[in-house]
Amino acid sequence: MTGPFADVADVQARFDAVDYLADEGLATALFLAATLGQPLLLEGEPGVGKTAAGKAMAAAMGAPFVRLQCYEGLTAGEALYEWNYQRQLLAIRLGEAHGTHLDEADLFTEEFLLERPILQCVRHPGPVAPVLLIDEIDRADDEFEAMLFEFLGESAVTVPELGTFTAAVAPIVILTSNRSRELHDALKRRCLYHWIEYPTPSHAADIVRRNVPSGSDALIGAATDFVGRVRDLDLDKAPGLAEAIDWVSALVTLGTADLVRADVVRTLGAVVKTPDDLDTVREALDDLGYREAAG
Amino acid sequence: MAEPMLLRGVDRAAFAVSFTERLRRAGVAVAINRAETFTRAIDACMPTNTSALYWLARTTLIDDHRDLPVFDKVFAAVFADAVLPVDPNARRSDPPGPPPPPAADEAHARVPADSSEEIDGQGLPWTTLPTVRDEADDAPAEGIVVPERLPSHLDHLADVPFEALSEADLALVGRWLEHAFLRWPTRRTRRQRPSSTGQTLALRRTLAAARQSGYEAVRLVWNEPLVKPRRLVMLCDVSQSMQAHTNAYLHLLRAVTLHADAETFAFSTDLTRLTTALRVKSAEAAIEQANHLLDDRFGGTRIAANIDALLRSHHGTCVRGAVVVIASDGWDSDAPEAMAKAMARLHRRSHRVVWLNPRMAAAGYEPMVGSMAAALPYCDETYPGNTLRSLAEAFTSFVAA
Repeated sequence: MTGPFADVADVQARFDAVDYLADEGLATALFLAATLGQPLLLEGEPGVGKTAAGKAMAAAMGAPFVRLQCYEGLTAGEALYEWNYQRQLLAIRLGEAHGTHLDEADLFTEEFLLERPILQCVRHPGPVAPVLLIDEIDRADDEFEAMLFEFLGESAVTVPELGTFTAAVAPIVILTSNRSRELHDALKRRCLYHWIEYPTPSHAADIVRRNVPSGSDALIGAATDFVGRVRDLDLDKAPGLAEAIDWVSALVTLGTADLVRADVVRTLGAVVKTPDDLDTVREALDDLGYREAAG
Repeated sequence: MAEPMLLRGVDRAAFAVSFTERLRRAGVAVAINRAETFTRAIDACMPTNTSALYWLARTTLIDDHRDLPVFDKVFAAVFADAVLPVDPNARRSDPPGPPPPPAADEAHARVPADSSEEIDGQGLPWTTLPTVRDEADDAPAEGIVVPERLPSHLDHLADVPFEALSEADLALVGRWLEHAFLRWPTRRTRRQRPSSTGQTLALRRTLAAARQSGYEAVRLVWNEPLVKPRRLVMLCDVSQSMQAHTNAYLHLLRAVTLHADAETFAFSTDLTRLTTALRVKSAEAAIEQANHLLDDRFGGTRIAANIDALLRSHHGTCVRGAVVVIASDGWDSDAPEAMAKAMARLHRRSHRVVWLNPRMAAAGYEPMVGSMAAALPYCDETYPGNTLRSLAEAFTSFVAA
């Protein structure tokens, strides 16, 4: 069985080249997803880089990237395919005007088929398999999950009027979930699974350094350390890695060289996003080593 | 590769299956196809160290992060000598400076024993017990946190056990319950209603809309199935042992009868249908009528026989696809086997079975009564149900499910 990657180290190296630092666990999961052709379900706290992993996968492979953002009420028409009804109607009228006879079979051809992300991936001619990111699957309804089974299991989509489309090159599917609800066992059974942890402080610093190259090492170290300790406070929404990156970018934009209390207070909105959390963090600033006197 | 491959000369399929079996015995539900995926993953990756093997196994065998601690334990038991120094996850879950893991032989024997200490009560699926203990400090342990919809004027009553409430307070509770059925588990009906996200064509409406565009059906109107709340069937124990709670539960029964269109029954030695008696606007009149009907009140209890009687009566069909709530302390004069049989039947026929047992509020409660223990495997959820807060928790949890 050959896939786009030689081994796990190759995954890490090529992700590194597109500025995504994958640890061994995530690299193994991505390697298996690409090699075994099974969908990969990524779970983890918000902001640990689930969506970014999908994008990096496409970039590392040089593959087309298709993203399907899930939301409540998402239907087959928006995910798989839809018939272009207005165009069919027009074809009937034209046929009438020209006096040609149209069969039903003439109206349900690929000409009138509107491809949506999943069918688009299945019909991708190759040679590189496209990467499909089904983002935040937990937001979609249960029915939508069930609808994905055929695609996830066999990389195929059935259009009753036309028949079954099977992928020439099986797309690499990455699903992400924020665990706002439990996914069905049948869906999980079809997927590989990886739970992304918050990275260790040093790993987090590496990631931020990669994303904000203009930041100084001291600033990045202090900022990731601060975010790591804020995460241990009792917050509604703990800041993830995405927030740390945003924050360091903000600090760099403001021309901060080393982190002092005034800067922290000024830019706290990039790290914590609710008024209650802001209060909590402000109160804890002294304990976190940013005393009033220092600023 | 210079490093020697792990598991050289080992039957990988046999290894994968036995490792999967070990996980299952430790309480992780591993789907049947995952051992195969694991084997294919080993073939694809050729792991050279335990860390690589750890990630292969974890990615392919686990599908819930809550299972990770157990997985780590089982993996450590199998590869105890090498895994801890290299494995980041094990380092994360243990605080710095943990004692070295037990030797492999000892760990092998301990794995099943370790998991059974979480599942207490003589091997019963007694997983609801921790939440009951949490009742005291009022912190939902884990999982989805269900918002409780308690109005402020009832807040001071929230943690008072029902037996300590006055008649007036009980009436208040009843009135609150009447409004607590805004969201409820639903079922799909065969009727349709227009909807923009529907899947079936609403022919009549489409044609009606076409009248405005010269009978050209440019705009299609879609239908979606109508959903209705699931029926609630509530059985309440009015025997001697439940005397303290009976009045509160009668108010509860009345509230659900009036506002959730529930079927309500009371039982001690015989089953009495209270639905019609309680469907009266005035609370006092309804409770009085119900009390009048319950001539066997505060006698002995025959839970199994009464559940059986309900299922065999012509009201037995109302249980189908319904949410069944049983309020009882589980003291039953029938044999536990009869209870298991009746509950199994009830569980098959209904959508969910919920058991409210006021005795569970006591700290350290264990289902020692034979019939309660027999019934537990067939209950989807169990709650103390002895305070308003606990009831609110129970009722909102149906919605979350």
